[in-house]
Amino acid sequence: MRKTGFLYDERYLLHDTGPYHPEVPARIQAVYDGIKNGGLLSGLSMIKASYADQMWIEAVHNIKYIQRFEEACLSGMSEFDHPDNQICPKTFETAMLAVGGILDAARLVMNGEIDNAFCAVRPPGHHAEADKAMGFCFFNNVAIAARYIQDEYNVKKIGIIDFDVHHGNGTQSVFEQDPSVFYYSIHEHPSFAYPGTGREFEKGIGAGLGFTINSPMLPGQGDSEYKNIIENKFLPAFEAFRPEVIIVSAGFDAHADDEMSGIMLSSEGFSWIMKKIVEMAERYSNGRLISVLEGGYSLERLPELSKNHVEILLDK
Amino acid sequence: MFVSQSMTREVVTIDKDADIYEAKDKMAKHRIRHLPVVGKDNLLVGIVTDRDIRSALPSRLLQAYESGKEASGKEAKGLSEFKIKDIMTIDPVTVSLSYTIQDALMLIQKIRVGALPVVDEQKKLKGILSVRDLLSAFINVMGIGEPGVLLCIIVEQKIGQMEKIVDAITEEKISFGSILVARYWEEGKRAVFPYLLTQNVAPVKRKLKKMGFTLLDPMEWWLDKLPKTK
Repeated sequence: MRKTGFLYDERYLLHDTGPYHPEVPARIQAVYDGIKNGGLLSGLSMIKASYADQMWIEAVHNIKYIQRFEEACLSGMSEFDHPDNQICPKTFETAMLAVGGILDAARLVMNGEIDNAFCAVRPPGHHAEADKAMGFCFFNNVAIAARYIQDEYNVKKIGIIDFDVHHGNGTQSVFEQDPSVFYYSIHEHPSFAYPGTGREFEKGIGAGLGFTINSPMLPGQGDSEYKNIIENKFLPAFEAFRPEVIIVSAGFDAHADDEMSGIMLSSEGFSWIMKKIVEMAERYSNGRLISVLEGGYSLERLPELSKNHVEILLDK
Repeated sequence: MFVSQSMTREVVTIDKDADIYEAKDKMAKHRIRHLPVVGKDNLLVGIVTDRDIRSALPSRLLQAYESGKEASGKEAKGLSEFKIKDIMTIDPVTVSLSYTIQDALMLIQKIRVGALPVVDEQKKLKGILSVRDLLSAFINVMGIGEPGVLLCIIVEQKIGQMEKIVDAITEEKISFGSILVARYWEEGKRAVFPYLLTQNVAPVKRKLKKMGFTLLDPMEWWLDKLPKTK
């Protein structure tokens, strides 16, 4: 058994996206219920949300953007930058709590108090750009966590693995010129899915060339195609890079039953992927892994997917 | 949709009396393959392409040049006397500023060139329109530079179908990046491709299906399946 942290807080339900939106508070309730009903809570180190120090958010986002976002929420606007990004007066606060909780989880992992962590947060983050909200995302949670770990713990090499079914354009643009953060994303092909980036030829820029890898998957593909790519492309790339810490953008929307995509991963497929990632963390990163929830919209599937995810982190 | 809006205005040109190496250096420096040749008052006299240069140079000398070594000997000296006017295409096909992008697309496909010089009535060079410029125009038209999701809807070829689709999508407050309508391999049907600028497409997909439309996975659509044109 490993020591696994679990970040969950009812305040993450406060970000209200209105009646016609898939990124609903019930998502993380489903995640929590799955873990609770799976009997896993007692074996987890619970982490509560806390407000992020804004200086860490500024490590990724422009200060003007942060202010603009806060003002939009407090002034009662219902969307921010695009109708996809529904907001309420509590959205800014919720996003701050998400980042703060994740940074706490990172601190506990880096201090060795826990081995790894799963952060069930809302709103998600990987589409958020330095100065633009996109695809339900406002603050780029994983990018901020990576900068925090690098600066606070003098870590040279961080690996980010993004298996959300959508390409993490925000994360990529933060790190595409930076050889110290390896970004690997496997997602539905951008010609068939949001956000239209993450093509195979996007491999990083300048000094960062080769430190971004995108594996676009075609609609209809699933477990066997994912396994093939992960064994032949993803694992060798990380073996060469050897990250000191691994951050996972864990989206569960590539599941066959999730209507946000045409990718057909099974629940077993997700488990297989996560086992490979955890094995890799054991091999190169002393087990240090922080997994952060991104998408995943099937309220029927989220309980079992998150339960399996946490079981693998626990090595139960 | 005019050539004047999509062309490259700052054209790298060359003189007809320049030597081949100068042309090659210019192409390498600006990463281009076509140099309009201009004379007095910017009058177009010809065009030279990297292929013209490749065909003019013996491969041994070309390799030496590309690996950065000085070509030596009598032969090399002879080549530097080889002028652009000896290898250029005289009076190339040109387009005028008022040509549309569609004109240029059809023309470029027909005459199989990589770029068209753009000239005014006096044949003064105003710009150049390359296949690359046309591709940018196309990306723009398709809207794929912006984040969104492509749908493929199969519709009966009858009046009013597009209206229903557009209304259904507009009601969901979704913006369009583009809508392409293409032929479909079944007679009497059309494939409609709305590119929607949102991540949130599941509700509108459900709605369209409920309205009786067939949604095709865009993956399953390819040109080869179209009925052969007679």
